[in-house]
Amino acid sequence: MSEYAKDYSMPELMAATVAREFRDGELAFIGVGMPLIAAMVAKFTHAPNFNIMVEFGAVGPSPRRLPLCVDCAVDNERAYYTGTLREVVGAQQAGFVDVGCISGAEIDKYGNVNSTCIGDYYKPQVRLAGSGGANDIASSATRTIIMMRQDGRNFVEKVHYITSPGYLDGSPGAREKAGLPGGGPQAVVTTMGVYRFDKDTCEMYLEKIHPGIKIDDVKASVKWNLAVSPNLVETEPPTEEQVMIMRTLDPYQVYLGTGRQTLTGDFEAFMKMMEDSYWPMSELMKKKGIL
Amino acid sequence: MQYQPVPLQEGRAKQPTYKIMTAKEAVSRFIKEGCYLGMSVSAAPSALIWEIVRQKDRIKTLDLVITSQIGMSSVLIGSGLVNKIEMAYNWGGIEGEDRVFRRAVEKGIPKNIEIEDYSNFGAAMRWQAGAMGLSFMPTKSQLGSDVVKYNPRIKVIDDPYTGKPVALVLASNPDVGIMHCARADEIGNVQCFGLYGNTDVLARASRHVIVTVEEIVSQAEIRRMPNLNTIPYYYVDAVVHAPFGAHWRESNYYYHHDLAYGLDAYRQFATQEGFEAWIDKYVLGTQDWNEYCKLVGYDRLYRLMLNERRYQQFGEVR
Repeated sequence: MSEYAKDYSMPELMAATVAREFRDGELAFIGVGMPLIAAMVAKFTHAPNFNIMVEFGAVGPSPRRLPLCVDCAVDNERAYYTGTLREVVGAQQAGFVDVGCISGAEIDKYGNVNSTCIGDYYKPQVRLAGSGGANDIASSATRTIIMMRQDGRNFVEKVHYITSPGYLDGSPGAREKAGLPGGGPQAVVTTMGVYRFDKDTCEMYLEKIHPGIKIDDVKASVKWNLAVSPNLVETEPPTEEQVMIMRTLDPYQVYLGTGRQTLTGDFEAFMKMMEDSYWPMSELMKKKGIL
Repeated sequence: MQYQPVPLQEGRAKQPTYKIMTAKEAVSRFIKEGCYLGMSVSAAPSALIWEIVRQKDRIKTLDLVITSQIGMSSVLIGSGLVNKIEMAYNWGGIEGEDRVFRRAVEKGIPKNIEIEDYSNFGAAMRWQAGAMGLSFMPTKSQLGSDVVKYNPRIKVIDDPYTGKPVALVLASNPDVGIMHCARADEIGNVQCFGLYGNTDVLARASRHVIVTVEEIVSQAEIRRMPNLNTIPYYYVDAVVHAPFGAHWRESNYYYHHDLAYGLDAYRQFATQEGFEAWIDKYVLGTQDWNEYCKLVGYDRLYRLMLNERRYQQFGEVR
């Protein structure tokens, strides 16, 4: 077991926390961005038999460079299967996906997530990306992990638009009544802590708080009266090994920091990143016995 | 008694004839004003999208149908070509926020755009239905969400067999489907390598199909591994040879995403003026895809290719 890292960033803590939600042997549906880094961390640390499905048609890739998207050339690297979106999402609808991971702009206490628009749907103040595969994951994955920033405005009583269904209105059996096959949200990992949902009320409660975050600040950034677990604990920090993997794959912190600005127009830096991960990742895979 | 034979009817199959042409020819022949255009995301048909923008004065308006799209549909939106977009996702992925899309939806710049939202699976099942000659497909995605509430073309009914709710999405049959693939022969048998999202069903659902490819191969090469034939010739109208034809996006096993370029394009897309300057230089300022590649630099494109080859080659584990 690797030592806890002394130096880590908030996104690295979030990614490591999500990685710990993934269990060895599971099949996961992973969207692009931080969830993808979290999945790589899980696979290269505690869960070598954990496999990911990538939306546009790849299963079980084991890449040695940073995947750039859910339809990326990197997603094919050493995959077990490549092909179509309907293989992956169809399998998910039929119940073959153990865990999915999504992100979003707003969330309510029943875990309904918005990634479509802020304001009126027809005249939005801010138009966002749209569902992509998030709705499909939230509808059908056996359990869903939600990963998002908590900025004081986006944990709301009612989201502007339900892109991805959580426990809907929180009434008993609401998901089943709506016809949704998946189990619904399991955990929400944010920049402040980790939340879960009560099995009777389906309401979100705070389970873990990140090191250095104050409980009053968490409560102030949630727009409803937040329930807190009586057994509230501090989130486990990332290990040195977890941080090493994240920094090897994403040295400029494209997903985990300000890498987008660094790489804008800098082809040499981008190519260096794509070249340099080859040996460290190949060695790591050999050590872990992963093809 | 006078017998009359049943009159002959024409099927939809395209003939196994020579179909290789330039992007300019293919776009002028098949993409008309007001075209209902479907486009693939893996791989993105950049070479054809650039050509559509070059012919925008003739084409005037388009209705787009996509599943997810990163950047490429916004090249059409920012050029003022798009009246409506049927979509699951139109954003920048790793490149971040799509300012072109936001400007069009929030401010009507360069013009108002109508949106019809689906989930990825919902959008994919529309092409699946269209590909099989059905008018709808059932899915369990989108149920209970506002995707259904705001989209009249997703109907929720009780499944007649189980009695449980199911969401029916209307079939989508684009006038023209455009896509970028790995290899094709001259009559339009097309191979995709690696993941290809919904490219196969888009081709089957579309009335006309234009495919750009990295390589042209012989029919004998296609017959050598017929199960790699993702799109048989009878769906295809035009084959365009466009090496690096998905740049700045990726083409599996050929080259990967040029992130530094994509981020830089997105920086310029932050304003409409910046977007137009980018279009003037890279799209309208070049005659064809080869000129665009020269402008980007073939040395750069080959380096993307070499990096991809270092990590993976189709048919090998590296």
